[in-house]
Amino acid sequence: MKCIICGGEALNKYCELHEKAHRSLVKKYDAWKSALDISWKEYLSEVLKNPYTGAWAKEVAEHLIKREDEIHDESA
Amino acid sequence: MSEERKDCLMETYTLIITEKPDAAQRIAQALDYEGKPKMMEERGVPYFLALRDKSLVVAPALGHLYTVVHEVGGRNYYPVFSFTWAPRYLAERDAKQTRTWIEVISKLAKNANAFIDSCDYDIEGSLIGYCILKYACENKEDVARRMKFSTLTKSELEKAYEEPLPQLDFALIEAGKTRHEVDWLYGVNLSRALTLAANRWSGRYTTLSTGRVQGPTLKFLVGRERQIRCFVPTPYWSIRAEFEIEGSMYEAEFERKWIEKRAEADAILEECRGKNGEIKNVAVKKLQQMPPTPFDLGSLQTEAYGFFGYTPRRTGDIAERLYLEALISYPRTSSQKLPPVINYRAILQALGRETAYRDMASELLAKEELKPNEGKREDPAHPAIYPTGNLPERALSDPEKRVWDLVVRRFMAVFGEPAIRQSVRVCIGIDGHRFYLRGRQVLKEGWMRFYKPYIRTEEVLLPPIKEGETTPLEQLIREDKFTKPPPRYNPSSLLKKMEQSGIGTKATRADIIETLYNRGYITEERILATDLGFDVVEILRRFCPGVISVKLTRELEEKMERIQRNREKRESVLIEAVDQLKPMLEEFKKNEENIGQALSNAIRRAQMQERMIGNCPICDTGKLMILYSRKTRKRFLGCTNYFKGTCKTSFPLPQQGTVKPARKNCRACGWPLVNVRIRARRPWMLCFNPGCPLKGER
Repeated sequence: MKCIICGGEALNKYCELHEKAHRSLVKKYDAWKSALDISWKEYLSEVLKNPYTGAWAKEVAEHLIKREDEIHDESA
Repeated sequence: MSEERKDCLMETYTLIITEKPDAAQRIAQALDYEGKPKMMEERGVPYFLALRDKSLVVAPALGHLYTVVHEVGGRNYYPVFSFTWAPRYLAERDAKQTRTWIEVISKLAKNANAFIDSCDYDIEGSLIGYCILKYACENKEDVARRMKFSTLTKSELEKAYEEPLPQLDFALIEAGKTRHEVDWLYGVNLSRALTLAANRWSGRYTTLSTGRVQGPTLKFLVGRERQIRCFVPTPYWSIRAEFEIEGSMYEAEFERKWIEKRAEADAILEECRGKNGEIKNVAVKKLQQMPPTPFDLGSLQTEAYGFFGYTPRRTGDIAERLYLEALISYPRTSSQKLPPVINYRAILQALGRETAYRDMASELLAKEELKPNEGKREDPAHPAIYPTGNLPERALSDPEKRVWDLVVRRFMAVFGEPAIRQSVRVCIGIDGHRFYLRGRQVLKEGWMRFYKPYIRTEEVLLPPIKEGETTPLEQLIREDKFTKPPPRYNPSSLLKKMEQSGIGTKATRADIIETLYNRGYITEERILATDLGFDVVEILRRFCPGVISVKLTRELEEKMERIQRNREKRESVLIEAVDQLKPMLEEFKKNEENIGQALSNAIRRAQMQERMIGNCPICDTGKLMILYSRKTRKRFLGCTNYFKGTCKTSFPLPQQGTVKPARKNCRACGWPLVNVRIRARRPWMLCFNPGCPLKGER
């Protein structure tokens, strides 16, 4: 299986490195939600433009935003 | 007199072996009764004739003249476990000159009737001297005596000559031999495994390497890079309040430095706004700050990086030069102790001849007792780094001056009184919330006086404030903050990490960091692991995890230290190293194809990266790359979108020298710059934008 972001070797959807970044993104959402009361998508956009966010975490956030948009378009 | 010196080589003499030509000259000068040894030269190899109680010939080495080599066979296979010691010129292409040095020393050894090893007294120095005495002088290692000294001053060298150790320090030599042999076993096998795997897959040759210490060090860097790249910040808020006290503005922090919710921070602001503060409490604390400990090599390298920005390797080289000029003691030490035998008073008196240090030296000399504030670490061979008291005989370069000054001031500071600092914390209450105003001040400089300007203290003075007073609140500021990723290592913090983890030695750590840069595994001063670095660590982690295991490396390191103390046998450490390596290499061989493919891809990506200049300023979607014309083989810059047929942007490049991405943009037009290097010319940054406003200016 290939990582849907970088095409590297993957066990599930992501390669080991993007999986780690994904886990980090999911884990931090609770803190952001409680701090700013924002939705998952708003959170992803905030993280994406934050200068301290790591490159792989940004790639995952970007991918998740795109996917959300696609799902939204499909349902519309 | 000169006849006497000329005859010197006709009769028998004592042959003194030194590590480097500079040391040979200094030792010869110190031992010659007139201080004027005669310099001789044979086929470019200098040596010195000195007269003392008898004739002396002081011959220098050129660092290591012998090395570990594969006993038989070529370079293109692994594993290799049989080795021997041989002249370096047989093993290394760039060590041809060592042949002449060995031949000249062998010739000088023929007429010598006594031998003294006066190489640096540490593992490397002892091994250099031993190999020369054993191989070049034909088994003189058992009859040679050993000069032991920590500075190249005349008095210490004379004493070391008059009272030499009766024999070489064989425990130190065994430790040195083992270290070189174990490093060779790891280095040669793993580097060959990596290089051959990549070469067999891609058909192209690129030198890849790893080693016993290189692997774990690279793992630290890759681990940190992974943390940074996966990092997701967390928001938090802090509140600052500005109060007016006696006509000046002072800034106080909210009692909690970390507020998790923005709504909560806003509520606090709302509650405090428009109200005055009341001084609830003034807490004054006095702290005694002990002087720093004397420099070992690691702490000198850290301090020089912090104040001057010198890499550990550069500081090590400068310190080595200062040692060879007899200005400081032997720098490759891990000791933080200054024994009284070095004679503190004599050194301070001598330093007092320099105007800049006169007052401070007098102040210390006026003390009844001089007692340094020593650290815990010891080194059996050398004390901590200290100035010899000699003043420079030549004009030092700026970097040399800075490092010498740092060593001198640190030496004086360790004898200083403790400094006394006062910290004041004023608690200001507003509507049940507390804000803290902090002040700090040095009450008694103590040792700090001697260590200026290498002290980082920022004083914040507060006016007299009494409890119960009211103070007007001028402003409240909410600060939006985010947690930050861990910082990248720099050469200095990486060296510290290696030291704390117990991997490498004081003599090798800085070189290992340089090697990682040279191999393209890391880049930039704030160290960034490259894709190639990532892949090498990943491959090692999968197929031979022992190579990047900090624990295994440290254990091996400890065993080698035990050899130095005669508590472990060289043979058992070597057998253990081979036992560890064998299964790793077997596993590696089994997976050579996969490893080769992964490495080749990483190398290709790294090479592409090296040619990538930046975004194409015309189409903005492609990347500008250094390309070569198929017809003319001339190089130029072209956009990657050319291959898609969407952008035909290209720019000419100089055809001489090397051209690399500068990773900077032009300050006038913002286009990416390239770095051009042509032999015998100063490198320059080239902006290839034909319309750049700076071009018009020129």
